[in-house]
Amino acid sequence: MSRVAEAARPAQPAVPSVRAFRLREWLEREAVFSWLMLTPPLLFLLAFLGYPFCYGVYLSFVRRPVAQPATFVGLNNFLHLYNDPIFWQAVWNTFRFTAAATVLKLSGGLAMALVMHQHFRFKGLTRALLLLPFIVPTVLSTVAWQWIFDPGMGMFNRLLAFFDLVKQGQGPSWLGNPTLAMVSVILVNTWRGLPFFGITILAGLQTIPDELMESATIDGAGTWGRFRHVTLPLLMPVIFIVTTFSIIFTFFDFQLVYVLTGGGPANATHLMATYAYSVGMSSGQMGMGSAAALAMVPVLGVVLLAMSSYVRRS
Amino acid sequence: MARYQHADGSTSRRDFLKLAAVGAAGVSAEAAWRPRRADAKPAQITFMRESSYVKEFDEHFKNVLIPRYQQETGIKIVYEIIAAGGSAVPRTVAIVESKAPVDAGWMQQEWLYREGLLDVSDIAEEVGKKQGGWYPEIKSQSVWEGKWKTVPFGNIGQAMVYRRDWFDQAGITTFPDTWEEFLEAGTKLKKAGHPYGMSMGHGFADNNSWLLPLLWGFGGQVVAKDGKTITLDSNETAKAVDYVRKLYKDACIDDCIGWLDPANNKAFLTSQISCTNNAMSILISAKRDLPDMGKVTDHALNPKGPKGRFHSLVSCNHGIFAHTPDPAAAKHFLRWLMDPKQVAAWYRSAQMYHAPYLHAYDKDEEWDKEPRFKPYHKVLETGKLVSWPAPADRRAGEVVNKWIIIDMFAKACTGTPTKTVIAEAVTGLKQIYG
Repeated sequence: MSRVAEAARPAQPAVPSVRAFRLREWLEREAVFSWLMLTPPLLFLLAFLGYPFCYGVYLSFVRRPVAQPATFVGLNNFLHLYNDPIFWQAVWNTFRFTAAATVLKLSGGLAMALVMHQHFRFKGLTRALLLLPFIVPTVLSTVAWQWIFDPGMGMFNRLLAFFDLVKQGQGPSWLGNPTLAMVSVILVNTWRGLPFFGITILAGLQTIPDELMESATIDGAGTWGRFRHVTLPLLMPVIFIVTTFSIIFTFFDFQLVYVLTGGGPANATHLMATYAYSVGMSSGQMGMGSAAALAMVPVLGVVLLAMSSYVRRS
Repeated sequence: MARYQHADGSTSRRDFLKLAAVGAAGVSAEAAWRPRRADAKPAQITFMRESSYVKEFDEHFKNVLIPRYQQETGIKIVYEIIAAGGSAVPRTVAIVESKAPVDAGWMQQEWLYREGLLDVSDIAEEVGKKQGGWYPEIKSQSVWEGKWKTVPFGNIGQAMVYRRDWFDQAGITTFPDTWEEFLEAGTKLKKAGHPYGMSMGHGFADNNSWLLPLLWGFGGQVVAKDGKTITLDSNETAKAVDYVRKLYKDACIDDCIGWLDPANNKAFLTSQISCTNNAMSILISAKRDLPDMGKVTDHALNPKGPKGRFHSLVSCNHGIFAHTPDPAAAKHFLRWLMDPKQVAAWYRSAQMYHAPYLHAYDKDEEWDKEPRFKPYHKVLETGKLVSWPAPADRRAGEVVNKWIIIDMFAKACTGTPTKTVIAEAVTGLKQIYG
C-alpha cells in the first residue's frame, strides 16, 4: 500500500483486544512459527521412532516372553547372542550381503547414470522404465523373482538351456544351493537398488558444467581422462551420500530375504534383521529379539559418524 | 484487507494452524479408545483369521456365517484376514503385545502367547461333550496349567502327495510303506526324471511334517518328555540324518532344500516333482484347475520307520484375547461358531481340509465323497505335536521357529558331516533349554 493511500486512510478504531493482538504478533515471530511447524514432525518422530527405539533398548535388557512380565537380566541377552552360532552366521551373512550388493549397485548405478546422461531417442521413457524396480513393492517383485529363480520353469535356467549351457531341467538350484541362494538375494537387492544410485548420480552429473568438460577436452583429455579427473571428483559428494544411504538400507534389509528364502537354506541367507524377527516375533522372545535388532545399531552409528564427518569436511 | 490474508486468497499461516489444530483434534477424538460399558450390547466383534488355501472355506465364513450371526444377534463381525504362509503367528504375537483391538481369532502355535489368552474351558468342554469328545493329542496344545486356552478346531493334515501315474510307470503300484522303500522308489523315479520334492527350507508346515515324523520313526527325539533333557544326540538321530542325506542325493530335486511352504505346491502342480509332503490343497487345486493332473494325484500316510509311523499336527484353534473389552460377547460368538449347526457345514465347505479334532466327525459323510482324502483323517491317529514327546511350550516353539532341526537335516544334505550337524543342533537346543 502506498504512503499516500496510507495517509488518506481514515483513522482505525481502537484495537478490540490487546491479548489477541499480542498472540498474533507472537505467532508471527519466525522463532515461534518455525517451532510450531517443527513440533508435529518432531512429535511424530518421537512417537513412531523415538519411543519404539527406547522401548527396544529397554527390552534388550530384560527377559520378556510375549504376554509375560519382564525380568531384568542386564547384559544376559547380549551374552546369549554372543554364544549363538546362528547369530554370528547372520552377522557374517549381513556383512557379505551389504558389501557385495553395495559395490554392485554403486558400479552399476554409475554406469547407468553415465549412459542416461547421453542424448538418445526415448531417453525420457528409458529413464522412467529404469525406475520401475524402485517403484514396484518389494514383496510383489520378490515373488516374481521366485518364479525367475525356479529351477524348472524359471527364466534363468531356461535361458541357460537355450544357450546350451545346461541341459533342459538340469539347471542350477538358485535358491536351494547355499552359495547360489546368497548370490540370488544379492542379485535381487542390486536390481531393486540400482535405480536409486542411477537417478541420484545422474542428478549429480547434470550439475557438472559443460565448460569444464570442454576445457578438459581442449587440454587434451580423452574420455577416460575427463571421467577420471573431472566427472569423478565432482561426483564424489553425491556418490558418498548415496552409498551411505544404501549401506543403511541394505544392512537392514528384511522383506526381500524373508519372502525369497526365509533365511534358508540352512541359514545361508539369514540376515541380522530376519534373525531378530524370527527370535522376537516368531519365537516370542521379545527381549532377545530386541537385543539382536539392537546389535545392528553400532554399524549404523559408524556409518552415520563417517557421513557427518565427511559432510563437515566438505 | 486483513493483515494476514494473502492477496491471492491462499491460506495464511494462521488459517493453516487453525486447520491443522482442528484436524489433529478430529483424528485424536476418532482414535481415542473408549471402553464399552459392561452392560451395553457390543456393536461389533473383531475376529482375526489366516486366509485358507481352500477358498470355499473362507467364502463360507464370510458369506454364510458372518451374515447369519449378524442377523441373529445384531452384532457385526469385523473379519480381519491375514495372508496365509507364516504371517499368522507374528501377527497374533503383535496383537497380544500391543493389545490391538481384536477380540478373538484363529490360533496357531499358541504355546508362544498363552498368557495373553482367555480361559475358554467352559466352551471347549461343552463343545467336546456335545460332539463326541476331543482327540487326546490336541489337549497337549490347547490345555495349559489345567485350563483350555483355545478351543481346538482342526488339523491341517500333512501326508504324502504323489503322482500315481509316474509311480505306476516306475513299477511301484502301492505307495512305499517304510522309509527304506520310499528311498528305493524315489531313486527309481529320479532316474526316470521324476524326483521327489521334500521341503527342507525355512517354512513351517511342509518341512516339519515329514522330517519330524521321520526322526521319530527312526527312534530319535529332540527333547525328552520332561521338557528339559536334550535327547537329540543319539545313534537313532544319526541314522535319520544319514537317511535324509541319501534321500536328498538319490531321490530329490536339488531345489527342495531351500523351499518355503508354497514352493512344493508350485513344483507339484507344474509337474516338476512326483511326490511331496503337503496338505490336501494340492489335490483340491489340481481338481479345480488341472483336471488331468487331478485324476492321477493321490495321497498316502507317511512311511513308517523302525519305531513306527508318525505324523506331525498342524493345528488351527480358536481363542479369545485376554485384553478384549467384552469377554462375554467374544465367548458368545465362539460358542455359536463351534455349535454343530455352524461348524459342521464349515468343516464340509473345505472338504475336511481342517480335519476336526472332534470324534463326532469321524464318520462324517464328507470323508466318503473323496476317498483320496481319507489319509488326512487317519493322520489324527498317529499325529503328534511338533514338540513331542516334550510338552508344547514356548521353548519348543523357539526350536521350531529357529528351524534348528530342519537346518540339521538341510546342512547334512549340503555335505556337512552327521556328527557336526547334530552337534550344532544340540548347541542351538542348549541355547534354548539352558
